[in-house]
Amino acid sequence: MPPALDLLNLPDADVVALAQQGREAAFRELIRRYERPVFSLIFRMVRDRELAEDLAQDTFVKVLNHVDRYRAEFKFSSWLFKIANNVAIDHLRRRQLETVSIDGSPHAQTTDAIEATSFDVAVQQESALDELEARELGTAIERAIASLRPEYRSCIMLRHVEGRSYEEIAATLDLPLGTVKTYIHRARHELRRALDHLREDSG
Amino acid sequence: MNHRHLLPDEIDLLLDNEVGFGVAPLKAHARECDECRVRLEDARLVLTSLEATPHFAPSHAFADRIMSQVPVFVPWHVTARDTVARWLPQSRTARITVAALATSAATVLTAAILWIATQTDVLVFASGAAGDEVRSLLLSGTHTLLAAVFGDQVSAMIQAAGTVGIVAALVGLGAAAAASIAGLRALALASSRRRA
Repeated sequence: MPPALDLLNLPDADVVALAQQGREAAFRELIRRYERPVFSLIFRMVRDRELAEDLAQDTFVKVLNHVDRYRAEFKFSSWLFKIANNVAIDHLRRRQLETVSIDGSPHAQTTDAIEATSFDVAVQQESALDELEARELGTAIERAIASLRPEYRSCIMLRHVEGRSYEEIAATLDLPLGTVKTYIHRARHELRRALDHLREDSG
Repeated sequence: MNHRHLLPDEIDLLLDNEVGFGVAPLKAHARECDECRVRLEDARLVLTSLEATPHFAPSHAFADRIMSQVPVFVPWHVTARDTVARWLPQSRTARITVAALATSAATVLTAAILWIATQTDVLVFASGAAGDEVRSLLLSGTHTLLAAVFGDQVSAMIQAAGTVGIVAALVGLGAAAAASIAGLRALALASSRRRA
């Protein structure tokens, strides 16, 4: 048995180094840290839970099977998101699935399947009215995100959901910094336009 | 007040909290112009809502499914280090004692090896004797192995064929063993994938 490891408090680079030494607990810790962000990114790209789970699984398998090739000068999360984005974009290109509905997977054939693949954004608020408004805004946001072009979607998700800097996004997606800024600004404009009706309704 | 309303890109500059030259007049305008202030607040609200979107969780078995496809390989040097670490005492004093003993043992062994190396005659005699012993052990072991695997009669035929026969028999045996191991491994992998 190797000595006990306090993986929870280690930075990513150290956990990756332990994974490179063949510590299974380090592999599991990397999955624990990033399963939700990676799954969420892919889910919002492909809008199908089962498919997103398969693609997220492919992402982790690719990354963890080649963890010995990881170079410490890059952030592990950037590498992981890069693979996740590539996996999702490749899939979308193959299926030519550009925009889909938040109300269920486009592949769903039955009412149950549509319900099973639809979003339910849970938000906690003080009053029932606030909750209703928040849920409506949350759903509208998800619908607006879904209507964006895939490349805008991954940029805006990395910027505002994962909190990455423009430079990190450029490195992650292999895009010029100017292109990333343009994509994010256009995505914001489209989101604002898509959500205008909420302001008009409340005003 | 500057009467030109803010452009969408200028609103983005303010949203990103840019501090460069030219941002101060934009901020001043947003403070004084009701229309631009509302547009900026609306844009902030969209970003706040975006940042509040939740992470979704995959199913419970997600990590296990991934790990079933990731063979964890422990390099030999890590295994060796773990083994050494397991045997090393935890306290500092005990470790110093062990290090002192190990250094003393290494020094004595080095001195002994150096002394033996200087005794050329003894070395030649000892290596010759050891070589003979190893050769006879190998021959006897090979004969025993052939007799056990192929039976006495076939073993006698192989030995009659000389060195070529023995080598051919051993190579055939090795190939059969390797094929069996590969087959068993493929079966085990297929079984574990089916389980996953």
